Amino acid sequence: MNNKAGHLRSAPIIERLTRPLAPQNLLSQQSIMDIRVLQPSDIPHVQHANITNLPENYFMKYYLYHALSWPQLSYVAVDVSRPKKSPYDYPRIVGYVLAKMEEDPPDGVQHGHITSLSVMRTHRRLGIAEKLMRQSQRAMVETFGAQYVSLHVRVSNNAALRLYRDTLGFKNEKVEAKYYADGEDAYSMKLDLGFIREQILDEQDESEEVDEGEPVGELGAQKDKASALNGQKDAAQGGKKMKVRVGRGLGVGDLVEKNESHKA
Amino acid sequence: MPQVLSAKERSLFQTVVRNYEDKQYKKGIKAADQILKKNAKHGDTLAMKALIMNSQGKTEEAFALAKVALQCDMKSHVCWHVYGLLWRAVKNFEEAIKAYKFALRLEPESAQIQRDLALLQIQMRDYQGYIVSRKSMLQSRSHIRQNWTALAVAHHLNGELTEAEGVLTTYEETLKNPPSKTDFENSEAVMYKNSLIAEQGDYQKALDHLESAGKHNLDRLAILELRATYLTKLGKKEEATKAYRALIERNSEYKKYYDGLVEVMAIDAADHKALKAVYDEYAEKYPRNDAARRLPLDFLDGDDFRETADKYIHRMLDKGVPSTFANLKHLYSSSFKREALPSLVQQYISSGKSEANEEPKRNGDTSKGASSAYYFLAQHYSYYLSRDLDKALEYIEKAIDLEPQSVDFHMTKARIWKHYGNSHKASEIMEQARALDNRDRHINTKAAKYQLRNNENEAAIKTMGMFTRAETVGGPLADLHDMQCVWFLTEDGQSYARQGKVGLALKRFMSIYNIFDVWQEDQFDFHSFSLRKGQIRAYVDMIRWEDKLREHPFYTPNGTNGAADGDEDASERKKAAKKARKEAQKAEREALAKKNEPNKATKEGDNDPKKKDDDPDGAKLAATTEPMTDAMKFLTPLLQFSPNSIDAQIAGFEVYIRRKKYLLALRCLLAASALDKEHSKVHSQTIRFKLALDKDLATLPPKVAEIIKSEFTLLPESVSLTQFNNDYLSKHKDCARRTLSGLGARKLLDHDLAPSADADVVKVLKIDDVSMEVAIEGLELLQSWKNGELEAFRKAAAAKWPNATVFAASS
Repeated sequence: MNNKAGHLRSAPIIERLTRPLAPQNLLSQQSIMDIRVLQPSDIPHVQHANITNLPENYFMKYYLYHALSWPQLSYVAVDVSRPKKSPYDYPRIVGYVLAKMEEDPPDGVQHGHITSLSVMRTHRRLGIAEKLMRQSQRAMVETFGAQYVSLHVRVSNNAALRLYRDTLGFKNEKVEAKYYADGEDAYSMKLDLGFIREQILDEQDESEEVDEGEPVGELGAQKDKASALNGQKDAAQGGKKMKVRVGRGLGVGDLVEKNESHKA
Repeated sequence: MPQVLSAKERSLFQTVVRNYEDKQYKKGIKAADQILKKNAKHGDTLAMKALIMNSQGKTEEAFALAKVALQCDMKSHVCWHVYGLLWRAVKNFEEAIKAYKFALRLEPESAQIQRDLALLQIQMRDYQGYIVSRKSMLQSRSHIRQNWTALAVAHHLNGELTEAEGVLTTYEETLKNPPSKTDFENSEAVMYKNSLIAEQGDYQKALDHLESAGKHNLDRLAILELRATYLTKLGKKEEATKAYRALIERNSEYKKYYDGLVEVMAIDAADHKALKAVYDEYAEKYPRNDAARRLPLDFLDGDDFRETADKYIHRMLDKGVPSTFANLKHLYSSSFKREALPSLVQQYISSGKSEANEEPKRNGDTSKGASSAYYFLAQHYSYYLSRDLDKALEYIEKAIDLEPQSVDFHMTKARIWKHYGNSHKASEIMEQARALDNRDRHINTKAAKYQLRNNENEAAIKTMGMFTRAETVGGPLADLHDMQCVWFLTEDGQSYARQGKVGLALKRFMSIYNIFDVWQEDQFDFHSFSLRKGQIRAYVDMIRWEDKLREHPFYTPNGTNGAADGDEDASERKKAAKKARKEAQKAEREALAKKNEPNKATKEGDNDPKKKDDDPDGAKLAATTEPMTDAMKFLTPLLQFSPNSIDAQIAGFEVYIRRKKYLLALRCLLAASALDKEHSKVHSQTIRFKLALDKDLATLPPKVAEIIKSEFTLLPESVSLTQFNNDYLSKHKDCARRTLSGLGARKLLDHDLAPSADADVVKVLKIDDVSMEVAIEGLELLQSWKNGELEAFRKAAAAKWPNATVFAASS
């Protein structure tokens, strides 16, 4: 588009509350591995993490589609400890979960879906993937009333399977033959989110009593012992062949507008 | 007068419209021609025909025909609307807006035209125009909530917060019954309204609104975060403390929450004990938490630091967490911590603690404990603040001995070689690392990156091809373009630039430029989509991010590279273009030979006209007759969005001074000087600017000359340039980079001093802080002078950096 200076107006500088920390604010921070909600401004680095780690890739508009449809569901792990190279340094994303709600679910049950999850090789064994997943799962229930969450994983990806099955409690639904573009099969997995609903109800009860209640504890703290899960090597998983094409060839435009073709 | 159609032709015209909508273009053209046979000057039909032709890819003919249509029927809104759609299709949104406005004047009731206009206005950030459009859309359909929200957004983006809030309130007042708790659109509208209240600074009102209207809001996290923020702002410390504790319980890996908690607990920053207690509480509560264990290392010192760091390191090395060093290196700004950390790791090794590792080992995993400690030390000695590459290599070999299959360890070994300046060896080792795990794309990516750093472009794309989609027409490179793989295009371009292949370099940089165009265009669909989805806050965030899209560091190196390469001098450019042409011809011949071999299958899609690149080597780009115009294309957004980047200003100066745009060059120079007055480039550019002025000032328009004289105050009065330069040299005699810059300037100022300047460049290598990067600059400087001490310099540098390929005697 033509950027005529006259038409560009810089947005008023406002104080950011829950929304993104402007990069300038991050300059003074030394925090290493924040886990927080994904912001649109994170997307280039999320896209970078994805194409660095996984074979299933998407163009930016597909990330925007997630971030603007279900902004509560996608999370990032952020490394802002690197020395700043310029005043415009953006936080580096070392892990992310890209999640959505299934639109028009075939079974008629509201549920979430994990489009993509990965953690940079250099930042594994910190349990980042698990932490990202738990934040996303909770938001699926709270904000969108999800009953369960589904995902696909390569049958050969033992590390990811350990995370989903042993740590998070996903169950194998079925094998989808030749699900991935390179011909590999996928496990289709599901996790019933009823336990989060109950947890939320418990919390509500507690907060309605006189405020003495012990804090509820880290999400899924019952799994604390399972340090073995920390060894996941690559929590890799991506979209279905069909979906990849949506992300690649067609783009959100076709999900959005009848007539507005879009170039990817 | 416009022609009038018969009833039959009118229905035929409807067919044309329908055919267009159904994308039956051939049928549509046929039907249109049928009408035009009798009514050759029927504007609407001509316009529809043009629109269909445009969809068929005949843009120029479509424009020509659309103009004819307008001549036939200036008062037809269809003709104007089509004209606008054509402009929109070629992305000239300003012309499109003008055309839509004409159309709308002729047909004020058309919702379609109004909508198309509004979308372009917001895309162009014409907020005033957008407000007018949204008001009119609201008037015609005030029963739809979206239309109210949209008007509020329009006011909001235009900075009219009170109006925005008012519009939302007005709508709320029309509601007879409160929406249900699970009404998502309402839930988000409440949060949007709350953000508007807070943005106006009325935190009490925002808090009240949050606790009433937002009580059962679906976005729980936002509620909790905002409450904590408002309570803090309002000084309600006790409640704020609870609010932050609730947030940490929800997500204990977010520093912002701990900072907030510590702030409202009003703990004295010097009271480390009390501070640490806050973190300890959570570390104890959450055995797998990292933040609460690591964050105290930021403020602790002395023995407290040692003790806490020891525990932290112990735990991480036991687990074999590969990012242990990365998690701690930000502490290296303190020299005490820089020394304490490796000594703790040494202790960990020598005390034998590593053997008593309690962490369970899976499948003989030895990457924990001792090897992990060696790995830490290797990274420590490879890091620029604590660099001793020989030691680094020693430790990484120890780690590899324990764990010969570790990809991570080999990756670090490759990095060490990179730091030695040996890109060849680095690439070789990274390739070894890659071979240890063929199925991991991360290591594959690294291997390709190191190949590019070593100028192995062909090998790199082959490496990448192991993970790109096999079906993509055009091979791995096309897939990487499709998937907007900015890092690869940047590295590939930089590699070609190093090799003097300007055409290919420019081509890669141009493709990144185009990706950013696509990213900017991507927002278009969301102007309507987000209103329907009701996710307004995320939409506003997106708009604000898009507004400064090109300040992103993915753009900046590209901008400076592109500007610099667009800037190569003409003879180099021609040479490069010629070379590129020859290579292209050779490739063509080879391709032809291949095609003629009947047994060899040619790749499908070779004949696809859309995918065919008519300038695969960038020869056309490199041969451009307007290199400066191309450079400007990169530069303008760079200066607009990253004005505080000194590299951007320096690149800007280079382009402007070559174009003899002295005012603009001066503006960049002044901006750079304001950012860092003593910067080596600022110094040399200041001198070059003065020299250029001495030559050209008389030829400039008097007004320009006057402004330059009054603004160019970087040089002290009544001091000669030579003196100025000498002062700089003596002031910065301990800084290799600045000394080099001063020596470069000396040569410019007085060529006769050449021998002494040359010899002094060699002496730069003796300055304590000289880095390999500066030495390479020195080498290049001497190369550009084409004589003198080049060989002496090379030898001295080779002795200092024996492993660096760049200083090795040319074979």
